[in-house]
Amino acid sequence: MAKQSVLGLYQNAEYAAEAGDALQAAGLTKDDYDFLTGAPYPEGAFGERHVSHRLYVFPFVGALCGLTAGILLTSMTQMAYPLVTGGKPILSLPPMAIVTYEGTMLGAILFTVLGILFESRLPRPSLGLYDDRITEGYIGVIVTCEDNQAGRVEQVLTQAGAVDVKRGEAS
Amino acid sequence: MANGNGHITPVEVDLTDQGITEHLSHKVFAFDRRLAYAMAGLGVLFILGIIGFVMRAVGDGFSDASRHEWGYYAAMFAFLLCTAGTAPLVAVAFRWTKNHWRRPLSRASEMFALVGILNLLWFIPLMALLPAIDLNGDGHLEVGVDRRTVWFEGPIGAPLWWDMAAMIGLVVCGLAILWVSARPDMSVVAARGSGWRAALMRKLAMGWQGTKRDWRRQQAFLAMLGGFYFMLLILVHTLVSLDFALSLVPGWKDSILAPHHALTGIQAAAGTVLVTIFVMRTWGGYGRYIGLDPFWAFSKVLLGLTLLWGYFWFSEFMTFWYGRDPTEQSVIKLVMFESYRTAFLLNFFFSFVIPFGLLLWNGVRKSVLGPTIAGASVIIGAFFMMVRLYVPAFNIRDVGAHSIADFEAGVGQAIPSQLLPVTPDVWDVFIILGGLSGTALIFLLGTRLLPVMSMWETKEGLLYMLVRPLLKGRYMVLGKPD
Repeated sequence: MAKQSVLGLYQNAEYAAEAGDALQAAGLTKDDYDFLTGAPYPEGAFGERHVSHRLYVFPFVGALCGLTAGILLTSMTQMAYPLVTGGKPILSLPPMAIVTYEGTMLGAILFTVLGILFESRLPRPSLGLYDDRITEGYIGVIVTCEDNQAGRVEQVLTQAGAVDVKRGEAS
Repeated sequence: MANGNGHITPVEVDLTDQGITEHLSHKVFAFDRRLAYAMAGLGVLFILGIIGFVMRAVGDGFSDASRHEWGYYAAMFAFLLCTAGTAPLVAVAFRWTKNHWRRPLSRASEMFALVGILNLLWFIPLMALLPAIDLNGDGHLEVGVDRRTVWFEGPIGAPLWWDMAAMIGLVVCGLAILWVSARPDMSVVAARGSGWRAALMRKLAMGWQGTKRDWRRQQAFLAMLGGFYFMLLILVHTLVSLDFALSLVPGWKDSILAPHHALTGIQAAAGTVLVTIFVMRTWGGYGRYIGLDPFWAFSKVLLGLTLLWGYFWFSEFMTFWYGRDPTEQSVIKLVMFESYRTAFLLNFFFSFVIPFGLLLWNGVRKSVLGPTIAGASVIIGAFFMMVRLYVPAFNIRDVGAHSIADFEAGVGQAIPSQLLPVTPDVWDVFIILGGLSGTALIFLLGTRLLPVMSMWETKEGLLYMLVRPLLKGRYMVLGKPD
């Protein structure tokens, strides 16, 4: 069955939070709806589900790759050109420090940028259901539901105080 | 706004989400005659800078023999790194500490990341001017023949390509911070405008909706990228100061130069952001967003940085002066007390004496103009510091010598010719003007694409801000989300 998106628009943030409760009471789960805001509200302000992430994995992997590349490059260079400088060992850490640090940083940054694109599912071909009034302080409650539930969802959102309700194909 | 009891209510309390969206989107698209004149003037100066660069390149070329002609160019590069290149750190740092007063200045400081592109281009000719480590190319490093650098004998591409890679990393990281931070505002600008700018913003916003997931990821990525920017910035300051100043002066060994350079950058970046928000508040039409709070709070940070600057300079000076080593004596004579005495005195006066003398007073800190003057002062001080570090370093031809103390003065000369001060010629002046105007021009061009005031952060601030009565006064109550 095709999925539908229903967007309820609220002038008052409290009504939007209550809409979330009403949707749960109507049998939807917290994974079925989300809140669209023009500013980041504190976590849990709408009683929404906790959004966990593992974004730190990207820079961590990137940093490991960069560090490995840096260590390999410096140590192999020193092995290939074994010049004894100032009586120090051929493989000594100070000359390797800058390159490995820089490699680590560059790897971490590169993977973080890739992580942003991947984790945010970018680029998004279409914006999905949206209303510009959200940029003016309105709160959007967007619900993804089965086709046959859309009518009931619209009713719940309206009863919760939505000033406008829109429906469209789920993206 | 005073509430009658001497307490200050921030100007932001009168704002609304709708008002913020309308006003700041309008500012991006509206034609402003004063801004157009300013951009035209800056454009002319920037073209002069390009002319200066071309004339210098055609006349002198890029070789070891002509390196001494490029001292002011190198100083200008370091100055841009200290000001515009370091400015995004201000947004990063105060976002980490979750200050409310940072909101009016976050975007302004991030927008300087755009100037990183100019800085990157500025760096390319410097790569051609930096001498090799193995000066005679015999595959061995020898004291007194080859250069002593932080790179020792390896690896491939050192120092040029590693310096370049660090610069590219810094610029990419800065632009990524700007993009991640500005995506919500880009979507607003795209929705409210028309034409190519709106189309470009729509593409760059990449379908931003403002879901809880969007916001959560944005905060996480900003925190991570901010950390990397800070770590890379310190590296770039270290590499630039060691490769383009210290290692070009035979015998100069100084462990605090790189930290002092980075600190000067952070201090100058603070000054840059303060002056920028002053201009925005006074002439840019952003007075309703920028109250006294950012100036008052930031002035304390600037005072701390100024005190640190004094301490770092004293540590640098003290070991050289007290050690009585001939090389170290020659170095401090070169960069502080003899050849570049004027530049040093101006540096010390503007980086330490003026800001310290001003910001010491509570009345000055608790004003808009006082911290701005102190901010402008540290920018000027940073410029003269870069002049006294890089111009003498680039003037030394015999970079493989054991020590500059061994340089001999010519007949009738008190100071060896390589250690004599270099005064800027007309092309140097053009290049300096070009660098300054290019920075301002790129920043202003950025304001034609993006709101220079972060909409989402300003709106977020309103969520946590309230003015409530208490007994006979009215006071601001600030919430803290976590």
